[in-house]
Amino acid sequence: MSEHWFWWTLTAACVGWYSTVTVYVAIRGATDIRRMLRRLSG
Amino acid sequence: MGHFSWIDGGIVGLYIVATMAAGLAVRKYVGKVEHFLLAGREMNLYLGIASLAATEFGVVTCMYTAQSGFLNGFAGATPGVLAALAMFFVGLTGFCVKPLRDAGVMTIPELFELRLGARVRWLSGVVIVLGGLLNMGVFLRTGGDFLVAVCGFDARYLEITMTALLVFVAIYTVLGGMLSVLVTDFLQFIVLSVGLLAVTVLILVNVGWGRLTETVQTHYGPGGFNPFIHPKMGWEYVVANGMLSLAMVLTWQTTIQRLLAAKDTQTGRRVYTRTSFFFLCRWLIPAVWGIAALAVLTPEQIGDNTLLAMPKLLSQIVPVGLMGILVAAMLAADMSTDSSYMLTWSSVIYNDILAPFRKGAWSERRGLLVSRTIVALIGVFLLLYGLWYPLRGSLWDYLTVTANIYLSSMSVLLVACCYWKRANSWGAAGAIIAGAVVPIAFLVMEQLPATRHFAKDIIGPHRSNIATYLCAAAAMVAGSLLKPRRPAPKGAES
Repeated sequence: MSEHWFWWTLTAACVGWYSTVTVYVAIRGATDIRRMLRRLSG
Repeated sequence: MGHFSWIDGGIVGLYIVATMAAGLAVRKYVGKVEHFLLAGREMNLYLGIASLAATEFGVVTCMYTAQSGFLNGFAGATPGVLAALAMFFVGLTGFCVKPLRDAGVMTIPELFELRLGARVRWLSGVVIVLGGLLNMGVFLRTGGDFLVAVCGFDARYLEITMTALLVFVAIYTVLGGMLSVLVTDFLQFIVLSVGLLAVTVLILVNVGWGRLTETVQTHYGPGGFNPFIHPKMGWEYVVANGMLSLAMVLTWQTTIQRLLAAKDTQTGRRVYTRTSFFFLCRWLIPAVWGIAALAVLTPEQIGDNTLLAMPKLLSQIVPVGLMGILVAAMLAADMSTDSSYMLTWSSVIYNDILAPFRKGAWSERRGLLVSRTIVALIGVFLLLYGLWYPLRGSLWDYLTVTANIYLSSMSVLLVACCYWKRANSWGAAGAIIAGAVVPIAFLVMEQLPATRHFAKDIIGPHRSNIATYLCAAAAMVAGSLLKPRRPAPKGAES
């Protein structure tokens, strides 16, 4: 039964972590792109 | 449900137009070969996370991980747990990746030349490209099969649809190189993530967690939750996949390309640690989809090909609107993987295989022209091989066999190159030969009637994979110790 909880915890962690990271990367990644292109054009 | 409506078509069309526009917009920043192959080493942390995640999740990934969940239950996601642990360990400790990035090389074989000689660099390049191209050869067909199964597209238009998709990818990759790949990867990561999460929530709400665990318990018993007691897995499966995961993290060139494109070593290592959990997500989320297919579909609906069980489930439960997001997400997964893989193998061909033929420095203009031509030729290969090669058996088995052509020997070479002073060209040649001979011998034994039982039932693929790594390491040690030591002139081959 403990294995059921192990996989339930991992699945919940995946959905939660992935949702958070998607929002965070969407915001910070756009800044990274602007900075990269600015440096390459300089 | 299961119909691809004009609303869905609009969503997919919008995604393709946005991707093409973004990919083409950055081509003007490509002035040098280093810009084309490594984005001028200006990639920062969050762009690196998006790019690595998008690159290493293709439709092909979704298909084989879902098939693994369908065939093995939750235990089928074990390689994802191992890959996440390997990624985190390497990023945290800098094992091999720190000396690799510090060396300032463009590819792994280029590092080998510094310690093991020019011949080892060339041979490693050939082995890496051979394994990589065969590995990505099935991507196009698998992506097409997914679209046909999910949307009910007419299979007669499969070739033309996938060809058009590949042409779109090739155009922005040929013109913008790594810059276009990074920018489109970023967009594709967002689209891909929204689609994956939305469908996962839909499945968990519609099917329910209790029904998923009950299905696994009914079909696979306790082994469906624990790989160590699964009848087809056991400790050999876990050890073999652990070795494969570590080798993949260290030497899979499409992953390493993000490390080498990072603005410094610390950023590259942080991309590894911060993306490590995604390597669990990319296995477990589709595995849950595969288990849901096992729970919902009847054997008649599934048919003979378990690879298509998950897409058939999605065609039944995904509503209009979300279907468009799902198809856009899967196109994003496919396009980001194809573009990165085309660019990566072309970088090894340009940087390492063509190195002996580049007598005298090439101008940046000529280097860019050659690099772009190689990317285009890889696109043509992908089209011909992908639509011609008929895949039989487990997709994951095909991918591991083709990847193991080089993962075992290249990972041994990299570790020895970074941490063993006695490593030399004899040991490297021995490791490359052993890394190829062992899996090929196993495949031949599987085919011969006299040895088939011994190969399949007594040795098995997992022990064969473990033996491949051990033999490659033993050959590296033996070959290096056998080579007579002599004081070499500075800069000569060791």
